[in-house]
Amino acid sequence: MQQFLRIIKQAALPLAIGSWLLLLFMMLMRTGGIPKIATLPNWALLVAQGVFAGAVFLYRRYQPDPLRGTDFVGLLRRLVLGPGLLATICVALHLVQRLTSAQPSNPAFFTIVYALNLGLFIVFLAYTCYTWRALVLFRAPYLVHKQWGWFELILGITLLLRLLNINVPTMLAGIVVGGVAAFGVYLSTHQRWVAYLNRRQKFVVISLQLGLLASLGIFCLYFLRIQFDPLLVAPAPQHAFLLLTVFFAAFYALMGILVTLFNLPTAGVFEQKREEMLNMQRMTQDIQRGQTEEQVYQTLLDAAVQTLGADAAWLRIDDSPDYSGQLYNLEMHQAEAVRGLLDSYSLSEIDYLNNDLGSSGGFQQLALPYNSLLMMPLRSQKQQHGALFLFREQRQGFERDNLSILQTFVSQTMLSVENLQLTQAAIQNERYKEELKLASSVQDSLIPKTLPTDNWFEISSHAQAAREVGGDFYDFLHLPGRRLAILIGDVSGKGVTAAFHMAQMKGIFHALMQENPLAKDDKDRFPLPSKFMAMANRALVHCLESSSFITASLYIVDYENGGFVFARAGHCHTLYYHSLKEEVSYFRSTGLGLGIIRTDGYEKHIKNQFYDYNPGDVMVIYTDGIVEARDGNKEEYGEDRLLAMLEKTYYLEADQIKQAILDDLNAFSYGQPIHDDQTLLVIKFKTAQPGSSA
Amino acid sequence: MKITQTPSDTTLTLVLDGELDASSSVLLDTELSNPTVLQYQKVLIDCQRLNYISSAGLGVFISHLQRFQDAGVKLVFFNMQEKVHNVFEILGLDSLMTIVPSQTEAAAL
Repeated sequence: MQQFLRIIKQAALPLAIGSWLLLLFMMLMRTGGIPKIATLPNWALLVAQGVFAGAVFLYRRYQPDPLRGTDFVGLLRRLVLGPGLLATICVALHLVQRLTSAQPSNPAFFTIVYALNLGLFIVFLAYTCYTWRALVLFRAPYLVHKQWGWFELILGITLLLRLLNINVPTMLAGIVVGGVAAFGVYLSTHQRWVAYLNRRQKFVVISLQLGLLASLGIFCLYFLRIQFDPLLVAPAPQHAFLLLTVFFAAFYALMGILVTLFNLPTAGVFEQKREEMLNMQRMTQDIQRGQTEEQVYQTLLDAAVQTLGADAAWLRIDDSPDYSGQLYNLEMHQAEAVRGLLDSYSLSEIDYLNNDLGSSGGFQQLALPYNSLLMMPLRSQKQQHGALFLFREQRQGFERDNLSILQTFVSQTMLSVENLQLTQAAIQNERYKEELKLASSVQDSLIPKTLPTDNWFEISSHAQAAREVGGDFYDFLHLPGRRLAILIGDVSGKGVTAAFHMAQMKGIFHALMQENPLAKDDKDRFPLPSKFMAMANRALVHCLESSSFITASLYIVDYENGGFVFARAGHCHTLYYHSLKEEVSYFRSTGLGLGIIRTDGYEKHIKNQFYDYNPGDVMVIYTDGIVEARDGNKEEYGEDRLLAMLEKTYYLEADQIKQAILDDLNAFSYGQPIHDDQTLLVIKFKTAQPGSSA
Repeated sequence: MKITQTPSDTTLTLVLDGELDASSSVLLDTELSNPTVLQYQKVLIDCQRLNYISSAGLGVFISHLQRFQDAGVKLVFFNMQEKVHNVFEILGLDSLMTIVPSQTEAAAL
């Protein structure tokens, strides 16, 4: 089949030319233009004519689709100016010659012109039919493609009718031809392409189709005129085929003209919609390109003014720090006056359309040079950002339709603006996170990384902040004479504020634990814990806000004398294992938190406690994040559990004790978020190795 | 956290119900910041149903302590649960604030 088609495609053109030459030759022979070789029967001429028509149509059929994209005007122009014009000129010349000279022409010349015209007419019909095919099948469903195939087939059969010389009754022939014509009429209803033309193109198309119809008419006139000419030597060509193709070609053109004509009144609307759509597209792209809110808002103003043909406009933005809006052909005082008027009517929150400002009281007094006003608030789901005012000089300047267009623009804009704001918020958020990370690492550096080591004690520590930065702190300081100061504390609240005060506390610790060179007594060279707390309280009063406070405990351990002194400023009680008594208990001393009393007299509320320790004693100091950790039932870990843990683990190394406590705590609060900073220090006193003292 | 006010001629009683944490302490702060509170001779805080107090909650009382003292208003806590009392005690607030076992004792002060 493929092979056959290819042969047909290649043979069509030579066959067409050959059959036409043969036809010409035979006709000339009949008229005596060339010597007669034999008497030619009518059917020979008819076969030549039929082969010629069939070959031309086939040739045209297998040419590439003449329609390029949606260039319908180009398609019709090529058809009318190409074969149409050529054929028409030829026929017209002949007609003119016939009309001007009354003398009967030379029969040979007449015959040549006839053959030429017949050929051109068929070529012209073939071109027209296949141009129509391109239009009929333009974006048509598969069904129509199939129907066209049948139409072609039936036309091909009619070509054979006359050839076979079948004597069909006139009635039947009429019905068959009428049926095929009806089929052609049906196919002519496929005029989908007309919708793709704009107003100007529609006019061009109508004139081109008129031109085409004129060409057809001239041909028909010619053939009708010469039908009974005595000079005509050839039998009449295949009537049914030519009749049908002429009918189809003419009818399709006619339908096209009618459809285009009826489309003309709506062309304006169509184009406007199209313009709006293009605008919308352009705006969407522009808005997405907008880098700042200002750019996005300006695009909105441009698009609104352009699309709605406004003569003046005001875009008012209320909530942008760097952009307050824009005026177009309008003075600020005029704009504010309009706004004030709408406000006084309580109309500033809804879409407002007034097409006759001149006759509405309030606006009349403003004496604006505009007669139509369209106002639309710029509203997103969350809030109103501003409003857009559009003015036109003419009355009835805006239509209800305009509102919906504008609404689309506005919602598009609001979406973009909010996206921009979200992006900016995200960037800002990222920056905060970075800064918090920085704060976290700064705070981390404030917590001692290396724990003091000596042979008379061992220390193990654990610190975990509930957030990036926390309010817990601890610190160590070696004092002369084999003494060690240990500070632990907790700033009320969490987060950055707490972290600031924690850093302050560290500074106070290091500042106050300096040697006093004027001290006479060895004991007075460093402040006692209670003295330290009193001084710290005084220092903190100036920088703590009234609802904040700090709890702290300061221990000064003196190895030489085997004892320690501490003061507890509102901080958690110290848990202690007494190795001599083999007993675990809390030191329940009194002491007020720092920053609570802001007047003098704090010293009354803080006491020192002295204790002589023994090797093997264990001291556990911690913050309330440990004892207030909760389980799923909201129960707190509590002092009792902590005490019980030390009872079980006191004989272990400091590190192991700490780990055991943490394991127990984590098992207790498993699955619960850490809601407060947790700090835990375990100090175990040991027997010093003789001679290895620091 | 639910805060119920029961005013009488000279006394304002606040009943705290629930947990006084960072968010609910804002409510309490609003109540105590009301200038009319300083017109009473006594402000009694009923802590019977106060299950938990965070440092933020303590901070609210601490920040108003001086103000109440200056205005001559007595701040008295009563019916305090053991664990909440423990928190006051650890911080040393029991030496600054008046905490009594029952409402009758509070009223008698």
